[in-house]
Amino acid sequence: MNKSLIQLTSLINWKRKLFLILLIGSLAVLGIGIACLNFGTVSINPKDIITLLINGSQDKTKSLIIWQLRAPRIVLGILTGAALSTVGGAFQGILRNPLADPYILGVSAGAALGACTGIAFQYMTGYLLSSYLPLFAFIGAMLSLYLVYKSSKISYSANSTGLLLSGVAINFLFSALITVLLALSRRELHSMVFWLMGDLSSANWKKISIITLPVIIGSLILFFSSLDLNALSLGEEEALHLGINTSKLRIRIFVIGSIIIATVVSFTGLIGFVGLIIPHIARLLVGPDHRIMLPVAAFLGGAFLILCDVLARTLMSPTEIPIGAITAIIGAPLFIYLLRRKN
Amino acid sequence: MAIYQDFLTVKNIYFSYTVNQEILSDINFSLPKSQLLGIIGPNGSGKTTLLNIISGILKPDKGKVFLQNQNLNHLSIEKIAKLISVVPQNTWVTFNFKAKEVVFMGRMPYISRIKGESLKDYEISREAMIKTHSLSLSENNIQEISGGERQRIFLAKSLAQTPQLLLLDEFTSHLDLTYKYEMLNLLKNTLKKENLTIISTFHDLNLASIISDRLLLLDNGKIEKIGTPKEVLNEKNLYKTYKVKPILINHPRFNVPQVIM
Repeated sequence: MNKSLIQLTSLINWKRKLFLILLIGSLAVLGIGIACLNFGTVSINPKDIITLLINGSQDKTKSLIIWQLRAPRIVLGILTGAALSTVGGAFQGILRNPLADPYILGVSAGAALGACTGIAFQYMTGYLLSSYLPLFAFIGAMLSLYLVYKSSKISYSANSTGLLLSGVAINFLFSALITVLLALSRRELHSMVFWLMGDLSSANWKKISIITLPVIIGSLILFFSSLDLNALSLGEEEALHLGINTSKLRIRIFVIGSIIIATVVSFTGLIGFVGLIIPHIARLLVGPDHRIMLPVAAFLGGAFLILCDVLARTLMSPTEIPIGAITAIIGAPLFIYLLRRKN
Repeated sequence: MAIYQDFLTVKNIYFSYTVNQEILSDINFSLPKSQLLGIIGPNGSGKTTLLNIISGILKPDKGKVFLQNQNLNHLSIEKIAKLISVVPQNTWVTFNFKAKEVVFMGRMPYISRIKGESLKDYEISREAMIKTHSLSLSENNIQEISGGERQRIFLAKSLAQTPQLLLLDEFTSHLDLTYKYEMLNLLKNTLKKENLTIISTFHDLNLASIISDRLLLLDNGKIEKIGTPKEVLNEKNLYKTYKVKPILINHPRFNVPQVIM
């Protein structure tokens, strides 16, 4: 094998690269996750945490704080960050638009409208519905998914512009309805606004058990579309010339991505910015090949979100700052710094 | 079913984007294997549309395209991708891939989505880059090289697709003189030896005349004339389509007509 062939086959080792990324990524996220267990209103000695994780503990309170409060919150944060970043990356791919984020195709507005309706309903009727809020949000998200899909099909035979415009239109429509709900609301206003900003504070193992499977299976489907997404960045017609059924691909990514996002945001609310910026950071770090970029984005997104969450709950403790604000405050300067360094 | 002897037969094609405005009408021609057909004609005469119909991404309103006696309408786009590859006019890539990664994408019709590329795919891609003099670009970022360099990378990608029929959409438009010569040489000699059949649209009539075995002159979506460059490029045809009276001279080296103002 001569030298230039070796040079070319550096890419054949994408599998090795991927393996390394999976290994380093999961170790790093695990490490950061354990480190994040330290932070909270009650201070627990890091040594205690380690022994508690390994041997269990006699101290019921500490054990409860770690296992029932902090650990689920961190796991939910990792799943959420990973899901938002993976779907953001995939949506940027199918829309061939670097400004796309997981919320651009309407699913978030649907979930938000569902959740706000649930909250309004709760105050109106007096029924305590808060444990059903995710269901309301999920139904709203599925409604928006259906509407976006239908309207993009009718008007533009589901090309990327059609999908994007339908998503933006449904986003506006649903946001307008949310505004109406917000304007009419009184006591419930705070709950609604808090839901819209997103938070991880209500994390528990049951929620995690519900969202884990859709996130993992969905992300795998997105991952195995990586080569098609790569080819799509040559353009719609070029991808067709390479034998890729672009409308099917787009619909697949749109539906799978939206289901992932719907499942996650139904429990966490709308945590912004992660899904827009992490895919870009991943591309800056490892290049645009989706096979590598999507997993890297997942790890980065998970790590980034739990770090932001630590800040959210410690900076002004015991008051929590909305995590969506932290992601933007930290993420925007970081991103601009990386962009500048690249150029 | 009729049997078409020729490699490519375009039969009675009609196409319009909107009602009452035919972009192409009554297009009939055939092309034997390993010939190079140049499509020429004024702006808006339907050159690119015809290319898109032959490549199978536009469906004609009427008429059929047969490639090796198979009706393209009956083939899936995956199958078509193994037979026909296209070098587009627009070579912008959304994300900043390395040039070699773009060439590897030519192997998409053959690659399992689970396993990814094999060593064979890399060898074919490398051959394609050597042929198009673009191996030295392989590590460059695709958004950071010139338009002409991108076109060579896209040609390499299309050759890596190992097609039977290669379609070029105004391929030479961004190439400087050096590469025009090299690409001319590549198209006329190397690719012909490999029995590759090529259809290319041209803006530049003189280049079209030198490179093509036959020329197809389109005017307002209809075939005005098809034949050898000598048969097509004459004063009568050019006046009819381009509405100008240019001077025609004979190219001293290639012995084909050249059009000067």
